[in-house]
Amino acid sequence: MSKVYTLHDAVAEFVHDGDHIAFGGFTTNRKPYAAVYEIVRQGRKDFIAEGGPAGGDWDILIGAGRVKAYINCYTANSGFTNVSRRFRNAVEKGTVLFEDYSQDVLILMFAGAALGFPYIPVRVMLGSDLVEKWGISEEERKKIDKLPDKKFIIQEDPFNPGQKLVLVPTPKLDTAIIHVQKASPDGTCRIEGDEFHDVDIAVAAKHCIVTCEELISSEEIRRDPCLNKIPGFVVDAVVHAPHGAHPSQCYNCYDYDARFLRDYDTVSKTDEDFEKFLQEWAYGPKDHFGYLNKLGAERLIKTKVVPGLGYVPKTKI
Amino acid sequence: MPDYTNYTNREMQAVSIARSVKNGQIAIVGTGLPLIGASLAKKCFAPDCILIVESGLMDCDPVEVPTSVGDCRFMAHCAVQWPNARYVGFQANEWLHGGQRMISFIGGAQIDPYGNVNSTSIGDYHHPKSRFSGSGGANGICTFVNTVVMMQHEVRRFINKIDYVTSPGWIDGPEGRERVGLPGDRGPQMVVTDRGIMKFDEETKRMYLAGYFETSSVQDIIENTGFEIDVSRAEKIEPPSPDIIRMIREEIDPGQAFIKVPAQTEH
Repeated sequence: MSKVYTLHDAVAEFVHDGDHIAFGGFTTNRKPYAAVYEIVRQGRKDFIAEGGPAGGDWDILIGAGRVKAYINCYTANSGFTNVSRRFRNAVEKGTVLFEDYSQDVLILMFAGAALGFPYIPVRVMLGSDLVEKWGISEEERKKIDKLPDKKFIIQEDPFNPGQKLVLVPTPKLDTAIIHVQKASPDGTCRIEGDEFHDVDIAVAAKHCIVTCEELISSEEIRRDPCLNKIPGFVVDAVVHAPHGAHPSQCYNCYDYDARFLRDYDTVSKTDEDFEKFLQEWAYGPKDHFGYLNKLGAERLIKTKVVPGLGYVPKTKI
Repeated sequence: MPDYTNYTNREMQAVSIARSVKNGQIAIVGTGLPLIGASLAKKCFAPDCILIVESGLMDCDPVEVPTSVGDCRFMAHCAVQWPNARYVGFQANEWLHGGQRMISFIGGAQIDPYGNVNSTSIGDYHHPKSRFSGSGGANGICTFVNTVVMMQHEVRRFINKIDYVTSPGWIDGPEGRERVGLPGDRGPQMVVTDRGIMKFDEETKRMYLAGYFETSSVQDIIENTGFEIDVSRAEKIEPPSPDIIRMIREEIDPGQAFIKVPAQTEH
């Protein structure tokens, strides 16, 4: 069965106002930017956002005012922007609800959710303000259906009396969005390079949108099942979106667009410049191909990696 | 012939990091100075050390300097690309091993006398004056692994009470870690700043000055530390050899991604 969608239709069908959403990728690597821009274009909002190791992906949606509650562990385009600026601005101005966990916890929350665990028992965060302070109070949490009422509970380990454990509820994700190198029309996915937490969120979410560099035949993707990471029935929509992780990296395909990330660092400094950025790169292009055309062939080709290296040597940061 | 005697404080920090890695140790590195330091360790002081990163990339051997722990520059040539969760589990299982097998490097905006570090926000947590990226992997690392903390040495950063404890150190002294539920046989070992090296007293777990760079002094460090610090054990730290500086500039970070080379002066 073909699950091939246009990006527009995939977002229209599987991303709704108020949804609890997670993205794949890691800060500046394999972030599903094409889907992010499409979400901006379609005006979807009020997300409960599981940031994970986030960068410009959630920063754009926070800056566009689409995030109701942001669950943070780290938000930065490392190497280009130390702290994502729209995230920082929203927290400092108090315009977004936010919660902090350690990155270990968010990653285990995804893995735990994928394994069907209702919560994860961990030792991290003990002795820190991650357990002393709640970004979103219990009272506030009770008003938001998709958030658990409690950030965590500290309990004694029933098997090892005296040892404290932090119990953290796992998220009930509505939609996961990941960008992969190859997928077939039935949704089977191949991820090259580190999968990060992508397989976990795909399994844990009610719906999963996959954008891919290459849409390949079922025969081709089944030639070497060892390389495949996600079976088709986990996926709801497959979208052919070449360069769909731009300006982030995509292993074996392209490096980051360093100029774009530098420019984003600049334009995300002020409300006015960020609004212009959205007009230019999100609202301006009709769709993802309009975005690619605006970038131009030369710029895209120059990010193509050198085989064997996996990146573009001597990229100016 | 370039001048390799005009080393900078940043290079001195990288060298101090490199010297802190023991041969055979597994070093959890981030990007920036810790990566430069650990790469230098692998080349000069601890050839059998192993570099891993919190995104899940194991035994990394980058040719070019990565900008993020998830960078393709780390992915290429590493031994194994673990899913993120596998790394987290591996790190948590460090509880089973002695505290000496691993070493890690974290940064922060504020630190207190017991090595507790803030990398979350300045001011009130809910209405911060400055908001930072958040814990990232640092909190987990500080839970299970010995650490070296990288800081800018300023009065406003070395303070008695930090605004937010992102990464726990020795909490409030002896038995502090055990009391809150953390393993007590590991914690911050050293603080490397642009002025010198601080360590923690075995008995009191309080920070003391272990050494100062030749560009600094005991007095300079007292003036730039916002709490009382024991300086009775302070020694001047040997400057790096020109060969080490050459290696940083020519082999490890030739693109000057993280360490800028000072303008050449005539001799």
